[in-house]
Amino acid sequence: MSKFEDSKVVPGEAVGTVAAQSIGEPGTQMVLRSFHSAGISSVITTKGLPRIIEIVDARKKPKAPVMEIRLEKGIEKKYEKVREIWRMVEEVMTSSLISSFDEDLKAGTLVLHLEKEKMAFYEITGKTVASKLSKKEGVEVSQIDSETIKIKYMGKTTQATRTAFVNILNSPVIGIRGIIKASIQQADDSSFYITTSGSNMEEVMKIEGVDKWHLYSNDIFEVLKVYGIEAARNLIAHELSDVIAEEGFTVSFRHIALVADAMTHTGGIRSVGRHGVAGEKESVFARAAYEETVKHFTNASVFGERDTLKGVAENILIGKQIGLGTGRIKLAVKKDDLKKIKPKKGD
Amino acid sequence: MQAETIDHIRFTTISPDMIKKMSVAKLIVPDTYNEDGYPIDGGLVDQRLGVIDPGLKCKTCGGRAKTCPGHFGHIELVRPVIHPEFAKTIYLLLQSTCFSCKRLLLTDIQVKELHPAVKTFVVAEDLEETAAVDITSLTSNMSDQDNRMILVKKLKSVKKCPHCGEAQHKVKLERPTFFYIDSNKLKPDEIRDWLSKVPDADLKHLGIDPTATRPEWFVLTTLFVPPVNVRPSITLESGERSEDDLTHKLVDIMRINQRLEQDIDAGAPQIIIDDLWELLQYQVTTYFNNETPGVPVARHRSTRPLKTLAQRLKGKEGRLRYNLSGKRVNFSARTVISSDASLSINQVGIPRKIADNLTIPIYVTIWNKDEAKKLLENKEYPLVINVIMPDGTRKRVGETNREDLIKGLVPGQILERQLIDGDIALFNRQPTLHRLSVMAHTIKVLPGRTLRLHVSVAFPYNADFDGDEMNLHIPQSLEAQAEARYLMQPKDQVLSPRDGRPVLFTEEDEIIGAYMLTRDDAFFEKDDATRMLASVGVYELPKPAKGGVYSGKAIFSKLLPEGLSFEAKTQDGKTIIKNGELESGVIDEKMIGGGGGTLLMKIYDQYGADVEMNFLLNLTKLALHVTAKIGMTISIKDYYNSDEINKDREGIVKEVESKANDILERYKQGKLERLPSYTIKETLELITMAQLEEARHMAESVLKKASTIDNRAFLVTKVKARGNILNYVQTSMLLGQQSIRGRRPNRGYSGRILPYFKRNDKSAAAKGFIESCFFDGLSPTEFYMHAMGARDSAMTKSLVTAVSGYLQRRLINAMQDFYVGKDLSVRDAGGALIETIYGGDGIDPTKEMVVEKEK
Repeated sequence: MSKFEDSKVVPGEAVGTVAAQSIGEPGTQMVLRSFHSAGISSVITTKGLPRIIEIVDARKKPKAPVMEIRLEKGIEKKYEKVREIWRMVEEVMTSSLISSFDEDLKAGTLVLHLEKEKMAFYEITGKTVASKLSKKEGVEVSQIDSETIKIKYMGKTTQATRTAFVNILNSPVIGIRGIIKASIQQADDSSFYITTSGSNMEEVMKIEGVDKWHLYSNDIFEVLKVYGIEAARNLIAHELSDVIAEEGFTVSFRHIALVADAMTHTGGIRSVGRHGVAGEKESVFARAAYEETVKHFTNASVFGERDTLKGVAENILIGKQIGLGTGRIKLAVKKDDLKKIKPKKGD
Repeated sequence: MQAETIDHIRFTTISPDMIKKMSVAKLIVPDTYNEDGYPIDGGLVDQRLGVIDPGLKCKTCGGRAKTCPGHFGHIELVRPVIHPEFAKTIYLLLQSTCFSCKRLLLTDIQVKELHPAVKTFVVAEDLEETAAVDITSLTSNMSDQDNRMILVKKLKSVKKCPHCGEAQHKVKLERPTFFYIDSNKLKPDEIRDWLSKVPDADLKHLGIDPTATRPEWFVLTTLFVPPVNVRPSITLESGERSEDDLTHKLVDIMRINQRLEQDIDAGAPQIIIDDLWELLQYQVTTYFNNETPGVPVARHRSTRPLKTLAQRLKGKEGRLRYNLSGKRVNFSARTVISSDASLSINQVGIPRKIADNLTIPIYVTIWNKDEAKKLLENKEYPLVINVIMPDGTRKRVGETNREDLIKGLVPGQILERQLIDGDIALFNRQPTLHRLSVMAHTIKVLPGRTLRLHVSVAFPYNADFDGDEMNLHIPQSLEAQAEARYLMQPKDQVLSPRDGRPVLFTEEDEIIGAYMLTRDDAFFEKDDATRMLASVGVYELPKPAKGGVYSGKAIFSKLLPEGLSFEAKTQDGKTIIKNGELESGVIDEKMIGGGGGTLLMKIYDQYGADVEMNFLLNLTKLALHVTAKIGMTISIKDYYNSDEINKDREGIVKEVESKANDILERYKQGKLERLPSYTIKETLELITMAQLEEARHMAESVLKKASTIDNRAFLVTKVKARGNILNYVQTSMLLGQQSIRGRRPNRGYSGRILPYFKRNDKSAAAKGFIESCFFDGLSPTEFYMHAMGARDSAMTKSLVTAVSGYLQRRLINAMQDFYVGKDLSVRDAGGALIETIYGGDGIDPTKEMVVEKEK
């Protein structure tokens, strides 16, 4: 028998529990480990466990979405080209381009003093800013010189005017919505790529030169929307595995993949918990034993649900052997064989 | 063994007729016992409902307190009340049916559109089961939340009934149980009438199973009363009876019910009747769930909230999680653990006291009849405590009946024998975080009062011996014993299912011993070598080196299995084992310890569990000998620094402080570059902190250069036997920067952390930088800073334990039903496919590392 055959899992193995334990157990250790180095700043990190919970909970928006934008072959090593794309990515507000502004609410005028250095950094001219702003409704834009833009807007009240001005200051001039910051990085093979904080795959994909095959975002629901469920499943597994590895633990990828598969095998993303995988189980008892006991029982009676008692929780509840591992297999003895071991009468 | 098995359990609501049929008594007296302490007929502890007092007989079944299972009774409510848990369902029904003709507010075509197709196709295990699957349960099951929500939304907007054309009114639910239609109150009897007219077919469209429930049953006309067994009363020492919370609640309900009846009969004004009716509704609501939102909690005389039906089931202390998912067991023991190096890893030492009390069943057969007889004849220690007859009766063995029992010994009887060496037991330490927290050990009866285990097996249990307690369980059935013996022993659990790395390995002193033994300059005199090898059962000396001494490497090689070849990189170079001989290099923590255990894995892979276990045991013994021989000890002297090093320390402190000042200068001049997604102030903090933390690393490299392994405090960190270099640095050089929530301390008095400092003092010390070490002692301000950091980390620690505990509970609950099928696919309890092949390759995680290496 080859080593490979010998290394296969044994049918019946409770792989779900093993996977859950393999991820949960280091979770408790993540805390216990920092015990001996109490009070040392470099060890404390809130990155690990909260991120795992964020993924497993299937939160709609991650706390800190990030993207990694790779570029198409041919341009990925040309800094100028990369910079051009970079400029299209980061969302730049009007307010971050000016050094100061003067507003006259009674007259309804707002004068923006653009800052040369910042304009140069983002390679924007006053003209682009002006033309961008003029697209706003009811706004009159006139460019006084290359560094000054005058805006006229009369609201019904002074307050309305003020709100409009604040809006103008906070309106994006260039870039993609939701990308707060982008920076160019260089990989080991001297090719450039862009990392961003904030994520918007749909828009970034539209930019020419972006390698759509290697676009990365840690926003699971966005990946689901743009690339589909398989990609989302891979992302969940990948992110979980990254976080765990970063905390200095080794967990076999099969455990992490199983969590990802449990969350996604229905074709959508379900959270681990009462509103997801655990809350949608077939068995009434399994759900009731977990959380929201009364709700599950009353609902079950309304819909006339039937619990076929196949899962682990149900069988523990009724005191039967569970149908996993050695409890899955039954041993049968042939009647003829039984006779062979039967002792002679009169013994 | 299982004579009767439950095939399935179906959930339905009970109709009033059914309640009456199931009931053995209609209860009419809102009281329990009369003055003589005798149950009142028709009262809440009516003897037809069963008895709990010894001496009384149940009037229904004639059973005594222990044999009578209890029987249900009922109360007839004068006016119907809403069942609070179904109020939401009632609301849904009132909204979705016509005010006048009570039909569903949808045309037949709309119904068809909304009807979801077969959603879940249940894959059955085998063909027979497929045929048995109920077709209706596949098609008419609309329990899917989303689909129902869509339906209700649509129904809310319907203005006119598509069946009778009647204009619809707005129904409102005021929590918890009051309904209004166009701001007129809908009384429970009106609701009941309405619901009873909704046709079965329309209920089906809403997902309600009319064979299980009729909506009018959600409005109660009769109340089911649980038997007294369910709500036993306790007799206090004073002879006073204290009733169960449920009985109290039922008394309340009956009292109001009776008053309502009297008032109605007397023709009392409507307002009074309505008030009482509402009160009855309140009592019933709290009877079902005393935590219903919007309802004041019903309290006991002592102002303690009553524990009613829902509270009995709910939560961690509720019936489901406390009594059904978790059960108490017999044949178990618990006590303090301690270590015993002379035990095997697979053994557990138990005190005589435990061995005396716990038993294991011996099934008497024709094959072991003689042994059984001998056992039964024993008059001391391995005693037979009980003999269980084939009919199940249990006889205690005593001096008086021993002879009779020996004579009457026949196959089919079961002897319960005290534990002896070699019996199998399950051993567990809480928290049971992974499967290695329960393992099977063979029993070794020892003097003393603690449970004993080998030190190396403490790691998977995460146990230490500072007062930890552990549990011992004795599997009773032969099947369970076999499983424990063949699957659960530590030798079968060497590799962790988490990452396929060893969980049984050497630690601390043993690692030091192995390292010191295999160093190039390690040589031992003949008698030392003889003693060391004899301790592990090797009675043959290796070839002596020059000068008649024996090299440590040669001694170590005696432990290695024959023909082993192994290579690994170490800190100092390369370790080569060829043909079972350690040729060069040292044995370090990576090979035999928790840092991978590569050598252990290699031996496990090539020679199997027994050889590996043996190697580990011998290595432990040998290494401990070496540690004792070299005199491994740490003294305060090891932390003493020469003047030069102290000068270095001052230099380091000065350097980082001046660098931090530079950063501050740059910030003041506005030259500091902002880090992405941080403000300029945050950037300053971060960079400064990083700079100050650098001090530790600088100190580390100074110490590393200056220390030799003759400094044992340094040695333990170098060979990774205990602690890390940081502990050493902090003890003998400097503590470095303290932090609170990942930042430098920044709160306290205005502009400063302690009144000792000047306001807005930007120096490193004022922000928690400690330049002293534990050896020299901390200054008062430094001590304070350190205490703050320590407290912060203690707080976060306890917080994260709670969070991660819940995470694990959720993960396990979500995935506990998953198993690997015969085709190596992963499936859940219902047979749904989770993975087509486990892990993408069908490989067992404990064998993963081995296979990987094969490549």
